[in-house]
Amino acid sequence: MAETTLEKKTFLSVENLLVQYKLSGETVYAVNNVSFTVAKGTTLGLVGETGAGKTTIAKAILRILPDHSLKGISGSVVFDGKDLLKLPETEMRSYRGKNISMIFQDPMTALNPVKTVVDQIAEGIALHQNMNKANARIKAIEMLETVGISADRADEYPHQFSGGMKQRVVIAIALACNPDLLIADEPTTALDVTIQAQVLDLISSLQQKLGTSMILITHDLGVVAGTCDAVAVVYAGEIIEYGSKEDIFDHPMHPYTVGLFGALPDLKKNVNRLSPIVGLPPDPTVAYTDSCPFAERCPHVAPQCREKKPHNAEVSQGHFVRCHLAGEIAGKAAP
Amino acid sequence: MFKYKKDPTAKAKRLSSYKPGSFLYVVNYVSQSKSAMAGFCFIALLLILSFLTPYIFKYGYREINVRMQYALSSLEHPFGCDEVGRDIMVRIFYGAKYTISIGFFSTFCAAICGIILGAAAGYFGGLVDTLIMRALDVFQSFPTILLAIAISAVFGPGYWKVILACGITGIPSYARMMRANILTVRGSEFIEAAASINCSTGRIILKHVIPNAISPLIVQMAMGVASAGLTASALSFLGFGVVPPTPEWGAMLSTARAYIREYPHMVMFPGLFIMLTVLSLNLVGDAIRDALDPKLKN
Amino acid sequence: MAKLLQVEHLKKYFPTSRGVVHAVDDVSFSIEEGETMGLVGESGCGKSTLGRTCIHLLESTGGTIRFQGNDVTHLSKKALAEYRNCVQIIFQDPFSSLNPRMTIRDTVTEPLKLSGRFRGEELNRESERLMDLVGIEKRFYNSYPHELDGGRRQRAGVARAISLKPKFIVCDEPVSALDVSIQAQILNLLMDLQDEFKLTYLFVTHDLSVVRHISNKICVMYLGQMVETASTDALFARPYHPYTKALLSAIPTVDIHNQQQRILLKGEITSPINPHPGCRFAQRCPYATAECTQSDLPLVEVEPGHFVACSRIRQINKDL
Repeated sequence: MAETTLEKKTFLSVENLLVQYKLSGETVYAVNNVSFTVAKGTTLGLVGETGAGKTTIAKAILRILPDHSLKGISGSVVFDGKDLLKLPETEMRSYRGKNISMIFQDPMTALNPVKTVVDQIAEGIALHQNMNKANARIKAIEMLETVGISADRADEYPHQFSGGMKQRVVIAIALACNPDLLIADEPTTALDVTIQAQVLDLISSLQQKLGTSMILITHDLGVVAGTCDAVAVVYAGEIIEYGSKEDIFDHPMHPYTVGLFGALPDLKKNVNRLSPIVGLPPDPTVAYTDSCPFAERCPHVAPQCREKKPHNAEVSQGHFVRCHLAGEIAGKAAP
Repeated sequence: MFKYKKDPTAKAKRLSSYKPGSFLYVVNYVSQSKSAMAGFCFIALLLILSFLTPYIFKYGYREINVRMQYALSSLEHPFGCDEVGRDIMVRIFYGAKYTISIGFFSTFCAAICGIILGAAAGYFGGLVDTLIMRALDVFQSFPTILLAIAISAVFGPGYWKVILACGITGIPSYARMMRANILTVRGSEFIEAAASINCSTGRIILKHVIPNAISPLIVQMAMGVASAGLTASALSFLGFGVVPPTPEWGAMLSTARAYIREYPHMVMFPGLFIMLTVLSLNLVGDAIRDALDPKLKN
Repeated sequence: MAKLLQVEHLKKYFPTSRGVVHAVDDVSFSIEEGETMGLVGESGCGKSTLGRTCIHLLESTGGTIRFQGNDVTHLSKKALAEYRNCVQIIFQDPFSSLNPRMTIRDTVTEPLKLSGRFRGEELNRESERLMDLVGIEKRFYNSYPHELDGGRRQRAGVARAISLKPKFIVCDEPVSALDVSIQAQILNLLMDLQDEFKLTYLFVTHDLSVVRHISNKICVMYLGQMVETASTDALFARPYHPYTKALLSAIPTVDIHNQQQRILLKGEITSPINPHPGCRFAQRCPYATAECTQSDLPLVEVEPGHFVACSRIRQINKDL
């Protein structure tokens, strides 16, 4: 971590990640050829709707996908020069929690109800940092204070905390071992707006303090706008648009991204009707090998969209769009 | 049949044409599980043989043949003979209907009483709930078999009395389950929705609460048949069950126990059939559970 | 315009083993015909309870409810049935609000059948008209809820709610369980139906951007109490109550160049069990003083139509 030369380098790069599930005899194409990179100290937002494959991407990086339903996984997840997908399980275990940790969506179920919060934090510290129990406890209490919970509540059980406080505990557990990468899966979806603001604020201030990189998974474009540096829009298990926050929010190119912004009620503007994206989310059991998965719902659909899969085109420096008509639509559909 | 095997989605498609939880849906689901069908066929075959015993076999179930005492397996008597020379195979097949029917009837009685008590406790709540549930607590504080023995001891032995004993011991678990289900379903939004469109209380209970609360009970019943059959066998084994010479399997085991060292075949065959029957019933029960449990569906 | 629903000093308490939960505590508001009133607040603030109490799905503990000028606080069985033909509810969770053992057609037909207004073939025609109206395709008429996606399920819930031609509908977080693209479809549907049938909505939600989009008037609730109510534009332009200010500033916005300064509140929402008198927000309020928790605060009209319950409003808002 001390090597300053590595600072600017991308230290996580996911390439051509492909995950398929088996579900009652059918194949679910959950993640299809996804590639992205995360630079040291930055935050990547993975945005998409329910079932788009965001969480599967995160779980594939951590290799915690359920074995019994997994049909195939390929590609590479290079972290600090090592391909995580090729590591033996024992070695992988030393990465989880220590180098990479994850915050789950629901703080109500992410904590063990029969252990005090301080024990739950200390557990990871003792395991990964070879500390004895007493020292781990001291470190755990420090972590609790960092996330804004006073030390005298350390020996309480999860049910004695409110939702927002529980999520703070979860964050403390995730950050206890100073991970290099934090994966936050909808960390604030279960929380109220004012609590959400507190938690997001906490995550970003801790991230800056510790220099952690983050992958933030969310369906809320507003949350992305406030916290991320780069954004990847996920649709039907593919990244259909990828770029810096400015690229995506100021110049969305893919009709789906444009549609997402259009469907959002705007606080600043008074519009009479929203413009929803027509149709329904894609069927994950269909492999869109030679068509664009968004073709059925796309307002700009052209014949080639149904015949050929669009390739990933770089429309400007670092801004990738997977659409045949990217150049043509952009002018018309700017928000 | 083979067409379905080629197309994995056909099963899902065919199933979705039935109302989930409806009788036809369950039948369809169960019929597509190989292990459940094996279990079902075994039970069906056993029952058919049981009713046709007098017409198929040379010997009657109570036909004594002293010369064949303790005879081992032979072509004439495939499972051998017992201590008075009765054909064990005939007795097992003849007795099948007792063990299986005791299982079914007692489960049925237990479930009916349990559903009524549980529904009353869950729906009315308050004092009714407390009274019913505390009374059932008393019942449940005895081990099942001990309670069954106590009840049999009061009523005396006999086919219907065994059913009664097995039935009564089963009531608490059904009642508890029904009560819990009613409480969950009552809290659902669709019950509120029904109230908001002016459904009467009766209609809400019959049309909205019960149909949604009952399917876990059917699962429990499917699994319960096997355990009730086992309890019945145990009772007979202890001498509280079906009266000899009726060849209830537990009773057969009980008699054969005395000869286990010299003539193990007398114990082996009834034991084997109890095991196979319980296994078959459980396989069918498993499939019914899979068909009805919404958590297992995607 | 005529006042459709007037609620005065409405209270709803739930006795529990740990004390009395003051879910709705002395709330008053009125809704005019044809308008949409947004009811905002965080989870547990009593907004859903308030909505349900207004339409008699829960019985009120105190206060009065008037509908079209008639007192409907206490109703006989017959009067309740009549009242329920005029008021309806759309639920949050399209998964649990439909009976899983009834087809969409059955669900939509049931209220029609119970009302006795339709018979035989007419019944069928009317339910098909309704399903068509809310945009459910023909091939889904006989489907079960589990076969449909969230959006279509919510459409079925809407069809059931409008089937009896109600005047007033409580929308209890109707879009918060849906994805953004589907959410917009349902919001548009609700607005179209409102125009067509002159419906009045009480729109309960925690999502301020949705409420801004759909309502004319907004009430902000905090732990069972109404803290601020005003027209939508006035509330978003000039929030006066410190809680409303914090709430509005906390909404994540998609405008990356004008990220507003968030007002971060300290602490968590306190419990509504046996609350202290006065302002319930006082513990988290940056401006609170001892007088805030001495006695209950009335809603004061600070501008025409803009009511705020805060004892220090003039110190906090210098422009008043």
